[in-house]
Amino acid sequence: MFRSLLILVLFLFVPALPAAEPLHLRINRLIPVAANPADDAEFLRRVTLDLAGTIPTAEETKRFLADRSPDKRTKRIDELLTAPSYAPRMASLFHVMWMERLGDSPEWTKYLTDSFAKNKPWDAIAKEMLRADGTDGSSFFIAKRLENYGQNPVDYSGLTRDIGRLFLGKNFQCCECHDHLTVDEYKQQHFQGLFAFVRNAYLADAKAMRVAEKPTLDKLAFASVFTKVPMTTAPALPGGAMVEIPQFAKGDEFAIKPDRKTNTVGVPKFRTLAALAEQLPTASNADFSRNFVNRVWFLLLGRGLVHPLDLHHKDNPASQPAVLELLAKEFVEHKFDIQWLVREIAMTQAYQRSSLGTAKPESFAFALEKRLTAEQLLAAMMAATESKPSDALKAKFLKAFANQPREPEDEIAPSLKAALFLLHDKDVLELLKPKPGNLVDRLARVDNTEIIANELYVAILTRKPTADEAKTASNFLAKRNDRKADAIGKLAWALLASTEFGLNH
Amino acid sequence: MINPFCTPADHRLNRRAFLGAAALGGLATPAFAEALRKERRQVLFVWLDGGISQLESWDPKPNTIFGGPFRAIPTSVPGIHISELLPETAKQMHRLALVRSVCTQDNSHSAGVDRIQRGDPKNRGVVYPYLGSAMARWLGPGTSGLPPYIWVKPMNGGFIYKDAGFLGPKYGALALGDGKPPENLLRPAEISEVDDAERNELRELADKRYAEKRKADTTDANSYAFAMAAQLQKRVELFDLSKLPEKDRDRYGSHDLGRHLLLARRLLEEGVTFVKVTSYGWDTHGDNFNGHASLVPKFDKPFAAMIQDLADRGMLDNVLVIAMSEFGRTPRINGHLGRDHWPEAWSVCMGGRGIKPGVVAGKTNEKGTDVATEPHDIGHLFHTWFRALGVDPEKQKYYNATQPLPIAHEEMHPVKEVLA
Repeated sequence: MFRSLLILVLFLFVPALPAAEPLHLRINRLIPVAANPADDAEFLRRVTLDLAGTIPTAEETKRFLADRSPDKRTKRIDELLTAPSYAPRMASLFHVMWMERLGDSPEWTKYLTDSFAKNKPWDAIAKEMLRADGTDGSSFFIAKRLENYGQNPVDYSGLTRDIGRLFLGKNFQCCECHDHLTVDEYKQQHFQGLFAFVRNAYLADAKAMRVAEKPTLDKLAFASVFTKVPMTTAPALPGGAMVEIPQFAKGDEFAIKPDRKTNTVGVPKFRTLAALAEQLPTASNADFSRNFVNRVWFLLLGRGLVHPLDLHHKDNPASQPAVLELLAKEFVEHKFDIQWLVREIAMTQAYQRSSLGTAKPESFAFALEKRLTAEQLLAAMMAATESKPSDALKAKFLKAFANQPREPEDEIAPSLKAALFLLHDKDVLELLKPKPGNLVDRLARVDNTEIIANELYVAILTRKPTADEAKTASNFLAKRNDRKADAIGKLAWALLASTEFGLNH
Repeated sequence: MINPFCTPADHRLNRRAFLGAAALGGLATPAFAEALRKERRQVLFVWLDGGISQLESWDPKPNTIFGGPFRAIPTSVPGIHISELLPETAKQMHRLALVRSVCTQDNSHSAGVDRIQRGDPKNRGVVYPYLGSAMARWLGPGTSGLPPYIWVKPMNGGFIYKDAGFLGPKYGALALGDGKPPENLLRPAEISEVDDAERNELRELADKRYAEKRKADTTDANSYAFAMAAQLQKRVELFDLSKLPEKDRDRYGSHDLGRHLLLARRLLEEGVTFVKVTSYGWDTHGDNFNGHASLVPKFDKPFAAMIQDLADRGMLDNVLVIAMSEFGRTPRINGHLGRDHWPEAWSVCMGGRGIKPGVVAGKTNEKGTDVATEPHDIGHLFHTWFRALGVDPEKQKYYNATQPLPIAHEEMHPVKEVLA
């Protein structure tokens, strides 16, 4: 009896083979369940905004809500990952993250879109961005940061800082002049070692975004403003070995010699950006994989496991260290497969929880609200009002809602400017007038006020109204039967300008 | 109730959200408004861009080699003389103070404006806020419901975030180009007041319902932006100076600086924390004397009217007034009868809240070429202004994420002679 019980117990606790069990199930075990799962409508809106960059149409919503199949959420995730909207959405998401509203270019957009469409692995994308010698738009990350802006000199410190922040999750800005004062692990050597990779890069052709390099012949000299002890470094990753700087006979440094007469841009035999691209995006660089999985987790869950995103260090540990390590390890094992990573995170219970409730945000016990980006707001507003976007409207939305250049868009705050835009911009108000085929026009032809209320909520907020909400809307419409389209427009405006619409909750 | 999950580390790590919440205190109930008005701390910052000549304004040196053609005149304070180009301001001297020992670092405009308005702290690899953003941070939005930092300037307006530096865009300036209201402020004619009230009521109800089962922070932040929009709209008349008594318009003048200073007075009366008024065109490398003969009176009349009006309204107890440029002008007169940039020895005028009226601190040598007393850099002036407004730079610090930063240059101190 005892023995058979033991066998039973053993049987129950035999761990499943790790390779056989999907990652999201293992993550579910690591994050305790607290809030209820999101209902179907909340899930559908969330996953569509995250993976397609817009809200579902009223038709899609109705279909999804009526679908009784138990695996409809998984099916929806897989549909979105293979839909034509996936690559442009990822391109927009990562463009904002990497460029921080510094600027845009059609080549860069195309490069990103093509890369995500092919599901190019993260290490390959990072390599191309850091080498910055492609003619396909991939040089934009570095090139744009080598531009002069206004009367300021090229911001090499900013470029160095951004490589640390965006590729390694470590902000070494304070270490330009001295070891970090509050983060023991961040040393001046780390900043200067990274700086040594980029200090000889320059923009050879601003229009073509062509990055070139002067030869690196010597180590970089620096000194702490506190100790004043002179030091030198070759290019080196933070905590890594210095790259050996090869020595060439004078005049022999170039693979292609620069020539002013023929406008030939020189290419040195030793390119430090190529060395950076070789060394940084690798399986053995834990910072590289940890940073990326943490950022994708942030993009989907609204908060990094390590938060702020660019302060990975031992006194600011991940709120769920086991989850971070598991994600990073598996991401490397899956050869930096971005689509796999996005899918696994979207499949977790943590991602699919309800946003109702309160708890520490870092517990991920309930879904966190994420403010929509300017691009998401535009797309969602077009989908909701059943209208077509224009370039002029896109420019207006960026002006009203996007953060300022160099301001990371990990927090978006509501602003007076945005409120005035929603209140008074004439193109926004146009969306709420009846036009053939748009939402207000469609609903103005419906007689039943309850149906109108229902349709408004489904089209704009991707959910059915509560009894109270339906009543408010019905009463509002009933009193304005003589100017129905106008009343529908007002109800629609109130929902579009509401906090709920402006969030992915 | 204090949020049990809220640790000091949360505040440190979530700087912007924390500051955002703190700024929501802006809309207080009317019951406290009057009491709070007395506690108001405000600033009027008049910026004469390009560099007013100290010799043709606050520190004249008549009958000396570099003195130029203008005389010095007595003021309402026995013993203090200023340029004859400032007759009206001379009558207000008993309400003002001068620092004639200003000695700063930068003699180029692009670097100078930035450096002066940011208070030129030691370089720590971060971008410091302009004075307006700094004061928005330390003094808060007050009870006006209007943005704490408003900049009245010629030409374009907009939302100028770069002034805020590391404090973040919330502390940027709302710039009123040519005194005109911000973009989209005016409700299009097609929406009646009733329509507008109706749709906003629906919006507020939607927000209230959304917030019922969630933390209120997110909806509060949205409501704050819409409330500020509503407040500003109610004050559309602020931007319409034609409604003011003709006498006021005459006293301030119909030129840009006059109209903009009059608008500034109205904004200060409404309780705006920091109002900056910029006047361009003071960079008189050529024909300095005709230039100043034309420019200085355009400053003198409305500035003196402003001081008188603030005094009449009891507002000099609340409002710190500063008038300055990015540097002074060279004593040496160049070949084009102009004066060039001179940060080595120049003057700043101030008054009102926390400032000792009717005094002069420091002096320049006989020819006006150098400071003859202890030289005062912009850091000293920042210390002075913070003190005048009751903000102690020894005790208060900025936090840029985890990095503590002094609010004014830590090796400098206030100009005690001008502090009340």
